[in-house]
Parts: sequence; C-alpha cells; structure tokens
Amino acid sequence: MGEVIVITSGKGGVGKTTSTANIGTGMAMMGKKVALIDTDIGLRNLDVVMGLENRIVYNLVDVVENNCRIKQALIKDKRYPNLYLLPSAQTKDKTAVTPEQMKKLTSELRNEFDYILLDCPAGIEQGFKNAIAGADRALVVTTPEVSAVRDADRIIGLLEANDINKTHLIVNRLRADMVKEGNMMSSDDVVEILAIDLIGIVPDDEHIVISANNGEPLAGSDCQAGQAYMNISKRILGENVPYLDLEVTKTFFQRFASIFKR
Amino acid sequence: MGETVVIKGSKSGIILVLSPDASYETLKKDVANKFKDSASFFGEAYKAISFKGHKLSDVQQMEIIDIIQANCQLSILCVVEEDPETEENFRQALEKKLNEQDNSNNTGQFYKGNLRSGQVLDVETSIVIIGDIKPGAKVISKGNVIILGSLQGNVYAGAAGNVNAFVVALDMQPVQIRIADAIARSPDNTDKKGKKQKNTAHETKIAYLEDGNIYIEPLDKDVLSEIQL
Repeated sequence: MGEVIVITSGKGGVGKTTSTANIGTGMAMMGKKVALIDTDIGLRNLDVVMGLENRIVYNLVDVVENNCRIKQALIKDKRYPNLYLLPSAQTKDKTAVTPEQMKKLTSELRNEFDYILLDCPAGIEQGFKNAIAGADRALVVTTPEVSAVRDADRIIGLLEANDINKTHLIVNRLRADMVKEGNMMSSDDVVEILAIDLIGIVPDDEHIVISANNGEPLAGSDCQAGQAYMNISKRILGENVPYLDLEVTKTFFQRFASIFKR
Repeated sequence: MGETVVIKGSKSGIILVLSPDASYETLKKDVANKFKDSASFFGEAYKAISFKGHKLSDVQQMEIIDIIQANCQLSILCVVEEDPETEENFRQALEKKLNEQDNSNNTGQFYKGNLRSGQVLDVETSIVIIGDIKPGAKVISKGNVIILGSLQGNVYAGAAGNVNAFVVALDMQPVQIRIADAIARSPDNTDKKGKKQKNTAHETKIAYLEDGNIYIEPLDKDVLSEIQL
C-alpha cells in the first residue's frame, strides 16, 4: 500500500516542482516505485523539469474524465524505469478536477506504487485543495525569506485543518555564507517560526538551474543540492541521515578577492 | 400482433417504419434488437435515415439514431423527411455529407497570430498558420497543417485518420507531431540553456506519414511531388 505525499508551499517559486522531481528521482534511485503527479493544471512544469514534455499524450484531466486509462497517461522516466509521471493538462484550469476525483485517483495508484508525490500549485485555492485531498503526509517547502515563511505557516495551518498532521519542512535555497554574515534566516530560525520537523535543507545551487533546463533531475549527483535531495529521499524512506555541512569552501580566487574587499 | 419496427433499406438510405400504436419506450427496445440482429447484414456503411409511422420529436429521433449506431456498424449521417423523391433526397444528402468529410484535405483556412502555451487551435479543414506555435500550444486539424513560422509545440494533422496529411513548418522544432494514428516526439538532447539544439540553418521541413512512421525531411522538389491531397 503506497504512501501519498503532497509537496506544497503556498508561495510560488520556492521550489515545489524542483523538489518533487528530485525527491521522486532520489526515491526511484533507492529502488522504490514512484509516481509523480503534476496537479498544477493550466501551468504545468513538472514534465519540463523531468524532460518528459515530448512524451505527453494523455494527462491528469483525461484520466479523471475517463478519456483514457491511468496506465496510458503515466509516462515512464528516461533514466529510471520505476519512476513515472502523470502530467497535468495545459489547456484546462484547476476546476477541471475535483478533490473527490483526486482521492479516487490516488487510492487507485496506491496499489501500484510505493510512493505517490503530488506537485501542488501555488496558492490556497482549488488547485491546492485538489492536491491535498488524497494525501497522507505533506512536505512544506520554503525559502529562508519572510514572505515564503509566512505563506508556509498559513499552509501548515490549512493542512492541519484538513487532517494532514504528518508535515515536514524543507528549507530550500539556503545560502550558508549569508546566514553566517547574519543576513539570512538560518534553517533553525525557520524551524522555530514554523514549529514543524525539518526533513531537509537544500543549499542555493546553480546546478539546479542547469538540471531543470536539461530536464534531468540531479538527485544523487555529487553537487550539494543533489546530495541534499538524495538525503531527503532517504529520510522519507526512514533512514537516519546526518545533515550536510553547507559551509562554503571558498576557492582560492574567492579568498584572494575577499582580501581586497576588506 | 404485427411487428412494431420494420426496416426498409435502399441503396443509400434506410426507412424505419415504426408502429404508431407502440409506446416510445418499447420502440426504443425493439429498434435496438432489430439492428443488433441485422448488424452483420448492414455491415459498415454510411446511411441516411427517414422515419415513418410513429411521430417522433427531434430529441427522440436523435435518440433512435444513437441506439442504431450503438447496435450496429452503420453511421447515420443525416435524417431525411419523407416525401415522394426520398431516394433522390437520400443520395444528395449523403453525397453532400460525405463531401464535407473528405474536404478536410483540400480546403483550408488561415489563422494569423502566435499560438502560446495552453492555446489549442482545433479545425475541421487544413490550416495555414501565419505565426509561431510555442511549446505547450497545440494545433489539431483533420487535414494538413502549414506553419509560416516556427513550430515548437504540438501538431496533430489528419486528426480524423487521414494518413496522407502532412505538416510543413518554416522552422521545424516540434515537441510532438501526430499524423493519423502515429506519434513522433522530439529527441531528448538539449543544450545547457534548456533549448532544443537548433538546426544550424532554419530550413523549411515537412513531416509526413509513411508505413506507420513519421518522417521529417527538408521540403524539396522530390518530396513536394509526392504530396497527395
């Protein structure tokens, strides 16, 4: 019986889609059978980040409207045969699906997959309600900015109101150098404000941008963000993984430059 | 008791004689049975239909037609009111309808403007698009699709199953092309900026279907001469 996990944030652009793609990839690398569902109807992105856009024939709306079978709409990943994507429709909007339909869909997928990850749209309207309808647990993504943290707090409240009590926090795009200088909230600060358990810290990493553009998630690669996402995947699977040391090791040139800055 | 439903056939149409005494509900049941029994006799064909005997409303007529199509391979194209020259009417109506269906290939329309992500252009005929098809946008045509611009999205030509349909674009970088029942997708290699690797020269290309596979080739004289409308 699979577990349904919704990845949400409230605020847009904090890395829900990137996190979904990478955590899903990480879990697939660990040998789990994983389905990713893009619930952002009308503004689909997950297929692009996964590099699977050109394989889309049927989508989420086709499935709930019974235009096709679920199996027909699931796209197998390029690299991991036990990772699947159910893409969203681009030509419809959020009202094309109801929470009841999402519940039915996720309960059917539970029999087939170990984990079902739902990529939630930004906002707290219909799309959010659809995404959380069938979820057992939630991963709340935030960046260490007041606006994102404020929205995350609202989302956590809404999740609790909908009886999703197993929520974990991902602090994304953390810059250790800025935290050190006291110009950015640390992950501890964020955890203190939001009062939920942390499950991962992902550093700000340019490799993420490159990987998204290439359509190849970088979970498991040797850059810091890749490691961080792999660790989150492992923690979801129940492993106890220590947090990364995000201390930036300055290159020789940067040290050289910083001497002159003083 | 006589039969409530009698089917009279002619070359291009069928006349359905319904008993005026029977209720509509029994008629529906009897029509279903009748056509199921004679499904193999009719085979697969396009027919026009006319109703006799029982007075039917438009909605009821449509319902009866649905029942007929559900129970045999016939496609009912139109309803003809009964009059002395029924046969002639059948023929003309049927030809007209069939012509409309086949027309998708050699009649067309124009569309000017760019199609952006999420926009769908769905047309019955062939179409010439003066503008670009962006990624995430889609063109569906029962005939051919000609794009005077860049194709970066999805195109579905010959949507009703026309295997001779083709797609032409000045700049051919589609995400997906479908012709009749075949689907082709773009290759997966992209460069670091996330853009599909561009063809060095922007060359006009044609996509067509052959032996169940979609081929994309530069549009030259040889290919042009093989185009069938």
